[in-house]
Amino acid sequence: MASSLKLIRRVSRSLNSINNRRLLSSSSASRVFPQHSILYRPFLSSFLYNDNPNHVSNKHFCSQGPAAIDYSALLQEDEFHKLADGTIHDLLEKIEEYGDSVDIDGFDIDYGNQVLTVKFGSLGTYVLNKQTPNRQIWMSSPVSGPSRFDWDRHDGAWIYRRTKARLLETLESEIQQLCGDPIKLS
Amino acid sequence: MLKHATKRILAFGVADTRLSANRILPRFYHERVVDHYNNPRNVGAFDKNDPNVGTGLVGAPACGDVMKLQIKVDEQTGKITDACFKTFGCGSAIASSSVATEWVKGKQTEEVLTIKNTEIAKHLSLPPVKLHCSMLAEDAIKAAVKDYETKRAKAVASTTDKAADA
Repeated sequence: MASSLKLIRRVSRSLNSINNRRLLSSSSASRVFPQHSILYRPFLSSFLYNDNPNHVSNKHFCSQGPAAIDYSALLQEDEFHKLADGTIHDLLEKIEEYGDSVDIDGFDIDYGNQVLTVKFGSLGTYVLNKQTPNRQIWMSSPVSGPSRFDWDRHDGAWIYRRTKARLLETLESEIQQLCGDPIKLS
Repeated sequence: MLKHATKRILAFGVADTRLSANRILPRFYHERVVDHYNNPRNVGAFDKNDPNVGTGLVGAPACGDVMKLQIKVDEQTGKITDACFKTFGCGSAIASSSVATEWVKGKQTEEVLTIKNTEIAKHLSLPPVKLHCSMLAEDAIKAAVKDYETKRAKAVASTTDKAADA
């Protein structure tokens, strides 16, 4: 009971933050196509009022690319949060240390609202965040663009299914490529 | 008049960011993103049961982004004659899918599979946090083409079955 209450609170919090940042597709378009905005409201309400604590996502057609989704191995939300928070905090500490030791012009690291932003000055900005509905860590890299990492139980690592890239190794090689000095993350 | 005022503020904002590269840059939507939001291109829907229409539906409401991109393909030439989209999401997602519909028109179905999210992101000057929107647009294009190919394969299979029965 308490866990479903917590879930509903968390969901409404994240939905509020989503609503603050999101717009329905074009106000002028909705004048011409009024049924469009109605089309997507049922999605939102059914997600919000679903009280199954282990509910993953109502319409889970998140694009995974050519690789198939192994639903049997899908993480429970608590486990996901523990793993993802651990990974992100770990990265926060190590990259902060790296920034202190290596002299990079305009280096800045910030962790707010569960989003890790690392600025390497003019070399580029990394953004790492949790995508809880998909149980993924999303990364935006100035070198390789956007990628979405899933937790692989067998490997014990975050892996981008499309390229088989591993989160920590990718960050290590990219940061070394950008700044010149190696970094140890794994 | 309001649009003119916003355009002026936006232009001022863009010029300001170019001068103050060392300060923390305020976040502005690039004027192309604003343009796609104010003047949406190709918003709409085709009949998804039409055999010449491929529908790509990607994303999930829980993630905050859903994109539906449809293409109408000429079956003789394999060329995309028309495209439309409907997107639920942020301004960058709307602009990315709008750009995608513009870019696929008039191209071959094989050719549009080479459209990369990096090109869309560069065209719209998307900030790092919004690169995922461009990737979703690329996925939407691929999904639409895949759907069309699947439909065609089924149609071809059923006509050969009919010929075999006859």
